[in-house]
Amino acid sequence: MFGYILRRLAVAIPTLLLLIVLSFLLMHAAPGGPFTQERALPPQIVANLNAKYGLDDPLWRQIVNYVWGIVAHFDFGPSFVYPDRSVNQIIAAGFPVTLTYGAISFIAAVIVGVSLGVAAAIRQNSWIDYLAVGTSIGAQVLPNFVMAPILVLVFTLWLGWLPGGGWGGPIYWIMPVVALSTSFMASIARITRSSMLEVLGSNHIRTARAKGLPESKVILRHALKPALLPVISYLGPAFVTMITGSVVVDMYFSTGGIGRSFVDSALNRDYAVMMGITILVGALTILFSLVVDVLYAWIDPKIRY
Amino acid sequence: MSLLQIRDLNVRFTTTDGEVSAVNGINLDVARGETLGIVGESGSGKSQLAFSIMGLLARNGRATGSIRFDGAEILNARPEALNKIRAERIAMVFQDPMTSLNPYMRVADQMAEVLMLHKGMGKAQAVAESARMLDAVKIPDAKGRIRLYPHEFSGGMRQRVMIAMSLLCRPDLLIADEPTTALDVTVQAQIMELMADLQREFGMAMILITHDLGVVAGSCERVMVMYGGRVMERAPVDPIFADPAHPYTQGLLAAIPRVDQKGDQLSAIPGSPPNMTHPPAGCPFAPRCAYVMPVCGQTMPGLDAFAPGRERACYASLDVVRAGHAPQPDLREAAATDLDEMQESAHDH
Repeated sequence: MFGYILRRLAVAIPTLLLLIVLSFLLMHAAPGGPFTQERALPPQIVANLNAKYGLDDPLWRQIVNYVWGIVAHFDFGPSFVYPDRSVNQIIAAGFPVTLTYGAISFIAAVIVGVSLGVAAAIRQNSWIDYLAVGTSIGAQVLPNFVMAPILVLVFTLWLGWLPGGGWGGPIYWIMPVVALSTSFMASIARITRSSMLEVLGSNHIRTARAKGLPESKVILRHALKPALLPVISYLGPAFVTMITGSVVVDMYFSTGGIGRSFVDSALNRDYAVMMGITILVGALTILFSLVVDVLYAWIDPKIRY
Repeated sequence: MSLLQIRDLNVRFTTTDGEVSAVNGINLDVARGETLGIVGESGSGKSQLAFSIMGLLARNGRATGSIRFDGAEILNARPEALNKIRAERIAMVFQDPMTSLNPYMRVADQMAEVLMLHKGMGKAQAVAESARMLDAVKIPDAKGRIRLYPHEFSGGMRQRVMIAMSLLCRPDLLIADEPTTALDVTVQAQIMELMADLQREFGMAMILITHDLGVVAGSCERVMVMYGGRVMERAPVDPIFADPAHPYTQGLLAAIPRVDQKGDQLSAIPGSPPNMTHPPAGCPFAPRCAYVMPVCGQTMPGLDAFAPGRERACYASLDVVRAGHAPQPDLREAAATDLDEMQESAHDH
């Protein structure tokens, strides 16, 4: 197992390199550049800027220089738009914020979603089931860019209970977490419900009941683990989507996470910031698919690496 | 008083196609220590009868009537009351050993939890006792292999694990629902022999559900033949084979393939089992019966005793049925011989 994890991490390196090269090429293929403005700058100034940031080098040299900066100094370069800030600084400022409300949203979505799904499955066709299914469908058709302004309208403007934006103590976390986690919570509830129903109908659960185990033990000890397998395979990509999905949260609640920087960098052609965040999300994706595989092997003894 | 007493048991399932009557008005007594074979083809209601004893009917199933175990009513009993009886006093071995064990738990944990639950044992003691039981069902290196997961056992070995698990609390009644159907022929014989040995050793009663008359001939004292959720005939095992008194039993016996019979035509009962969503008004076997009379399609004949310990549910007179039946007194011997041969070849392996 340990060897397997090391092998997977080793494979992650060429994957990340491929990601860097592809995003670099795609970014430069898009029209415009960091210094394109509505009022054109004199050609001499543009030439000087390009020379300063190495944009006049051939593309392959730019890529090599960029990768070398990361490998040798863990330096993702300077921002093209904010000359006084490096990409490392921008990510260091935004990522902890994103990670905080992302992780809380993730945990909340898992706990509420799984509980709701299990409750719905063991009380199939009861009011709990209909409530859970109804809520999760409602939550899923309500995108977060619709939910966020509704939350602000109700809890900030009408009730005045919660701050409408900014980043401070836990009271600032509530609305971003609700906006971000609701649709994931709904998906998790739906997946848990259907897989739990399937597991509850399987032969080994009948055996567990024939042993005289109380229903709570049948569920917790025999049904929950296999029922969670499809949920876990959903969670890997979901976590990454939550981090990138923070774009909407950052825009509506001015939380100052990397989602905002990501959008700004794309609009401003701030190549270095865009690359930095892309690599960060790529690395997270690789890491979480590894975590999912390890969890799978931990739950299902038939899977051995 | 009999150990198990079933009165007027009906099992209905609500499905999208309508109501399915799986079991219709069955009465049954099982004495302590006896072995009863329940025979019938797929869909005859034999498994649902077993599940209703254990309270394991699917969610859409509903059982009515009465099932008394050791004097106490257990049909539709409270879950807490049922859980005290399950595994502790009535245990069950299921048909498919490949899926009936929990694939995500070590055999040790699956077995030990039964003893921890019913006998209040600690984990270590329960595992040690479970290993002894694996030893009793002849699993080699039981102490080592109890640490394995079910997928690390073969089908036959898994069924041995299931049997060992069911016997942990020394139940008074073991219900075996087609315990050998999913296994190789040679393994089948080993498992049947093992179950017969264990039953003698533990002195428990056994209900053996099967569609294999060879298995019944080799191991049961009494046989109940079911069709369409009803009892067709019930008798000690010898007269069932020597002198079947019901047309359906005759048909079943005639359908046993025989090695010593010439010709390449296999005998079968014409027609197919009734659709239990719309059960026939009279005898469910009437449409396929060679002795059918007008009355058969109208009402179900009662299950009447016609000799000591022998009952049949049929309007055709006993003499007519007997006359229509070509005497084949060696049928049981043939079926039992097949089993013996299987066991012998099993030992050779």
